[in-house]
Order: sequence, then C-alpha cells, then structure tokens
Amino acid sequence: MQPNPLPHGSPQPAQHPPMIAVHNMSKLYGEFVALDRLNFDVQRGEKIVVLGPSGSGKSTLIRTFNRIEPHDSGSIIIDGKIINEKTSLTELRCMVGMVFQNYNLFPHLSVLDNCTLAPQLVRNVARKDAQEMAHNFLKQVGIPEQAHKYPIQLSGGQQQRVAIARALCMQPEVMLFDEPTAALDPEAITGVVSIMDTLAEQGITTLCVTHEMAFSRRIADKIVFMDQGRILEITPPEQFFTAPQTERAQNFLNQMIRY
Amino acid sequence: MAALSFFAAKNKVCKPNKWASALLIGLLGTGLALSTPTMGRAQSSSETVPSFVQDGTLTVCTNPTLPPMTFIQGSDASKPEGMDIDVVRALAQRWHASLSLITMDFTGLFPSLAAQRCGLVISGIIQLADREKNFDAVAYQETALTVVARANTPPIKSMAELSGKTIAVQAGTSYAARIERENVSLAAAGKAPILVQQYPTEDQVVQQVLIGRVFAFVSQDVELYYRQKQLHGKVRIILKPDYQDYRHFAAYLRKNKQDRALLSQTIAELEQDGTLAKLRQKWSLSSQAEQALTADESSGGFNWQSFFSALFSAAFLKGAALTLGVALLSHFIAILISIPMAVALNSHKNSALKWVLKAYVSIFRGAPTLLQLLFIWNALPQFFPIFREQWFTPFLATLVALSINESAYQVEINRAALSAVDGGQELAADALGMKRKQVYRYVIFPQALRIALPPTINEFISLLKTTSLASVISLQELLAITQVQVARTFEFTEYYAAALVYYLAMVFFFLFLQKRVERRFSWADRKKATANAA
Ligand SMILES: Nc1ncnc2c1ncn2[C@@H]1O[C@H](COP(=O)(O)OP(=O)(O)OP(=O)(O)O)[C@@H](O)[C@H]1O
Ligand SMILES: [Mg+2]
Repeated sequence: MQPNPLPHGSPQPAQHPPMIAVHNMSKLYGEFVALDRLNFDVQRGEKIVVLGPSGSGKSTLIRTFNRIEPHDSGSIIIDGKIINEKTSLTELRCMVGMVFQNYNLFPHLSVLDNCTLAPQLVRNVARKDAQEMAHNFLKQVGIPEQAHKYPIQLSGGQQQRVAIARALCMQPEVMLFDEPTAALDPEAITGVVSIMDTLAEQGITTLCVTHEMAFSRRIADKIVFMDQGRILEITPPEQFFTAPQTERAQNFLNQMIRY
Repeated sequence: MAALSFFAAKNKVCKPNKWASALLIGLLGTGLALSTPTMGRAQSSSETVPSFVQDGTLTVCTNPTLPPMTFIQGSDASKPEGMDIDVVRALAQRWHASLSLITMDFTGLFPSLAAQRCGLVISGIIQLADREKNFDAVAYQETALTVVARANTPPIKSMAELSGKTIAVQAGTSYAARIERENVSLAAAGKAPILVQQYPTEDQVVQQVLIGRVFAFVSQDVELYYRQKQLHGKVRIILKPDYQDYRHFAAYLRKNKQDRALLSQTIAELEQDGTLAKLRQKWSLSSQAEQALTADESSGGFNWQSFFSALFSAAFLKGAALTLGVALLSHFIAILISIPMAVALNSHKNSALKWVLKAYVSIFRGAPTLLQLLFIWNALPQFFPIFREQWFTPFLATLVALSINESAYQVEINRAALSAVDGGQELAADALGMKRKQVYRYVIFPQALRIALPPTINEFISLLKTTSLASVISLQELLAITQVQVARTFEFTEYYAAALVYYLAMVFFFLFLQKRVERRFSWADRKKATANAA
C-alpha cells in the first residue's frame, strides 16, 4: 500500500485518525447519481446506523466500503488506506465484513464449512484453526450445536446468525450490516439484535442499515440520515428521534411510526 | 460430467471421478488402435508405379458389405476380405508397395477418393460412363446385372414386367438411375413406373426381399453366387437383363492418364499370368459357379447360439468399447469447451465475443450431426490437405465433430445452471474476499453442478446413441460392427438384439450413476439432508 496523503481540505488530523473517512464521495449508475458528494468520518469502534427511505442509497453507500460497488469520485480512506482501483480487494475485504439481508449462506456447504471456507482460501488459515475459530463464533452467536447442518435445515434467524459468524471468522475490523433483520419474524429479530448488541459492546466498528428503531437508539453513536443519494443529517440518536433537523427526516420518522 | 465434478472435487462431491477417467484413457487407447489403418513399411519405388501410390503405400477405400468382392469374414472389422481385396493386394505386390485399407460407407467412397484420402476405390463397383466423367476406371472382373426375388417367384422376361412393383437397391449405386431409364420407357408405354427403395447396405437390400417388403432386388450375379450359401435358397434370380453398360466391375482412381494406363497394364499382367483366374476360383466367381437356387423351406425362429456368440464376441466388445470411448471423450471435451463459453455468455457485458459464441451455438445446434460428421471427414480435406493425412483417423474426426456438436448443447445446460445460482452467492463470496476463480470453483460451480448434472447425463445418453452415425465415416463402432456382421451372416434379428443389449446396458449403467450422484446433493433438500444426517 502506498503512504496515505491526507486529502485536500480535510479537517485537521485528529489525535486518533478516523477508521473510515469519506470525502466528497459520489457513485453513479450510468447517468443516475446514487451517492452525491458524501462527507463523513467514522471513528474507531463507533456504531453508525444508516436510515433513509427506500432507494435513498443506503445499500449502495455501505457497499462502497468493501468496494462491492466501486465509487466514482471523491475518496474513501479506511484505516489510513485509500480505497481505489489499486486497492488489494483481498486485504480490504479481510478488514471489512458484511452481512446481507438474505443471509446468502452457501447452501452446498455445512454451517462449519460456510464459516471456514473464506478464512482458509483468503487468509490462509489452517483448517484446524479455522474450525476452532468457527466453533467459537458459532458459540458466540448462540448456535454451537448446528455446526454440521446444512443451511437449508436452519430457520431464518439461525441462518442470519451463521452469516454473522461467517463474517466474524474473517476477523474484520469493520462490520457492515445491510438490513440484517428485515427478512426475519419478530422473535428471530430479538435474537439477532441481541447478538449485534454484544458485538457493539466488544467495540468493533459497525455500520448498519436497519429499521430497528429501538436498536438504533440503544446502540448507535450516530444516525446518518440519507435521502436521494445525499446525507441530510448526522446526529446522535436521541436528537434524531426527538428533534430531527430536517423536514424530510421528520416525515420519514412519522411514516416509520405509522407503520 | 467428469469435467463438472472436477470443480467439486475439493468438496468431495463426486467420487466416481477417478475410475471414470482411468476408463476413459483406456478406451481412448483402444479407439485409436482400432481406427488406425494398418501401415506397412515402404519398399523401393520404381517409375512404373502410379502416382497414387504415395510413400510406398497403396491406400484403398472400400465398403466391406459386398461379398464376395469386399466383406468382413472374421470378427476383426478392420480386415476386409474378398476378390477386390485380393486384387489390390496383388497390385500392391506388383508395385512393391504396402497396402492400407480404409473401410467406410458406400456413399463415402467417391468423396474420399476426391479428398485424396485414398488412391484407389475398389468395392464391387460397376464401370459406368457417368462415373468416368469425374474419375478414371479400370475393369478387372466381368459381371451381369440380376433381378432377384423370393425363391417361389416365377421368372420374368423383361424389366417391363416389374411395372408397378417395388424393388430395393443399395444407395449410392447406379441401379436406381438405371431403373429411372426403364421408367421413362414404361411411362412412354403408359405403364406404371417401377418403384425404388434405397438402402445403405447390400444386406439390408436383401433383407427387404426376405421379409417380403419389396418384390425384388437388383444386384450383380457374382454377389449372388456367393450369397447362395447364406440365403439357404431363399431367393432366386428371376431376370438377367442384358445391359451393355453393366458388364464390368472397375477400380476407380482420380483422373490421370498415366496412372490409368499403368493400372490397366498391371491388371492385364495379372490376367495373363493367371493370378486373377485363381482368385475367381477362390471366390466362386467363375461362370460354372452358377447353380439353380434351390428352394428350401426357410428355418425361422431366433438363433440363440448366434445371439450369444455375437454378444460375447471380441468384435462386439470392441465396438461397444469404441462407442463408449468416443461418447465419453467427446462429451468430456464438450464440457471443457462449454464451461468457459457459458461463463462468457452469462456475463453482463455485451461483447463481440458473445455474438461469436451465440453464432457458434446456433450453427452447431442447427446443423444435423450427420452433416457435421460428413463435412469434417469429406469436405475439410479439400480446404486443408493436412486433414487427409493418416493421423486424421475416423476416430479423431468423430471426436472433433461430436465434441463441437455436443458443446453447443452443453453450453445451454451450463448457462441455465449458472444463472440458476442465486446472485447473492457471488456477492457473499466477493464480500468474503475470494478471488474470481475461487468464487467460481468453490461457490458457483458446485451449485451449478447439481442443476446441470441430470440434463448432462441425459445429453450423454443421447450422445452415446448419436455415435452410431459415425459409421458413415468408417468408424467401427457398435452399430457399424453389427452391420458388417449382418452382411456376413444375414442373421438380422440376432445381431440387432446383441447390439441392443450393449446399448441398453450402457444406458442403464449411466441412469444408475445419475441416481447415485443425485443423492450426493442432499444439501438442496431439507428432508434428505435431515435423513442423511440421521
Ligand atoms: N446496479 C444498479 N444499477 C442502476 N441503479 C441502481 C443499481 N443499484 C441500485 N440502483 C439505484 O440506486 C438507488 C439506491 O439504491 P439502494 O439499493 O442503495 O437503495 P436503499 O436505500 O438501499 O433502498 P432500500 O431501503 O429499498 O434497500 C436506487 O434508486 C436504485 O434504483
Ligand atoms: Mg438496500
């Protein structure tokens, strides 16, 4: 990796450099501007919840951090490293883990193999060590006894726990969640949310797109509110939920409460 | 099948892999051995040797289904025998050349001669002015046209009496055209024409008379003398029309005055020194061989002994091995080609490559497989002379044709299988930092394999049967072997049954394999997964 020059016009370096620094970052799909000149920092260990109406660019935003969606202009710096076409994707994705709404477990592999495949292939962890680590994380997400089952034999909530364990097995420093509870029933949501609570307490840097208001209030250090590809507010949750600064956020909250 | 399981090997999905590839290599060896024409060592050449003798080798094309001129007597399908074969052997000896025989369908003989795949064609072929427009011919044996019907049929006086009746002739011979000329005069006389059915082999022509589908067949007298024994007096000659232009069998060569002169001179020498007379004696071609075809009551029924001896004969076993080998190998290659093609076709980018691939698939799915085989064997050498050399064996040509043809079908299977794998899988694998190759190998291919495998095995079973088409380019696979054996013995039912047993055994084995392999994909089915774990 090349040395990391600070982008022009960035705020003066803090004592602890941010984990993620986003500066004037934009993303286009053809002509369509999905992300429009975004600026914000995420400190090490900080928990960010991204809120916004459907189609506002939440998924696109968090996908730019592991470069599943490459951004088109501006800069993203993660842990001091500039993310661009020269970035080693392997290194980046070891550092940034991701959990999807639909779990996306590998159906042809057992729960254990789901968790050990990438560490072995990407991080070159020995099979035995990978399995030991997988067992630990499966215990942590509360399903140690399911290690030898296939994903199809698990409930939705259990599958999402495996997906979280699978991401953790890569030992990431940043975790990205894209609506991890959206496909679950209320009971399963509680389980998954409590796991995310635990993770948050352990201090891993987290960006989470979710509609779980209670979780956001309890966990988030900041709420990032987006609309039409732009960030309208970055505020602590108390302030966001009680007195949002923008009318757009107010409307969004009203709708959230109504449904 | 083997190719797709290769990708899953790391995940221990497919065990039959190892022995399958061992079998494959074994069969390939057999196939190459079977289909390579015998090559002898060249001896000194002299100026009296025709130019079609190349590198001290006289290469001859023949269709060995016309006893006693050219036919297979023993169980080795690559060793034709008969008057014709002895004649070219004598010629080769005169020219101090070694003899290489290539056997093929009758219809393939002249295209092969034109493609310089052989220097001479000798196959009990009548000397005809029409044929001499394109090729030179030298006669070596007298003959007469005969019309043959079932034993109890009374003789007729002229061809006109066949008006309105159906007769059978071998396809590619000149008999059909000759009968057309009869039909012109019949039409002029206001009579119904003679109806003609054409069959690819002489034995099938005879069989049509034996089973009573047609009234008579047209053949040469010498052939009939020989077939008497086989036919057990089931047929008789009802007419010998005296056609001026149907009196000689000739060997054919590419147009070349000097070669033609040399060939006639050598044949004249063989006639003078009594060599040909001896051969005529050997193959019962001399005129005293003609006897009344006595009417025996035919013994019907299934000859179990013939059936079993065919079933366990080395010839059938070799034929089946070749069929299986060609099918396995060409499908294996087809799968190898089709996987990258499917991946490219499934990509989101719209490239020129995609259009090329689409054209490839359309062409090779659109054209009949038989046409593709004939094209590669007969037309390709005219564009690229390298394909008429010895190394390009029928086995290799079949492999090329079937691999290309099959890959066009396999692409569609692979493509459907790849796009059936959820897009989230690739996303998740990407997010875990896997490289492109790893994503395909460990995540996408194993899942696509489950979807592709049943239709792939179906394709293979269909391919196994398609290999029988390769008999037209002289590959001695199971059906070709069967036909040669039938030509020798006329025991249709028994030999067809033996071939059927082989085909069914192979197909059932692969259906069984399909079931076994499908069981390994229990991860896709909740109940099965639970049952397996228990
Ligand atoms: N691959 C793509 N090509 C073109 N446009 C896209 C693509 N992916 C997303 N978009 C567009 O970008 C915008 C942002 O999409 P995104 O998925 O980030 O929204 P979101 O905020 O996550 O919405 P939701 O809450 O429904 O998940 C949408 O208008 C969407 O139509
Ligand atoms: Mg989204």
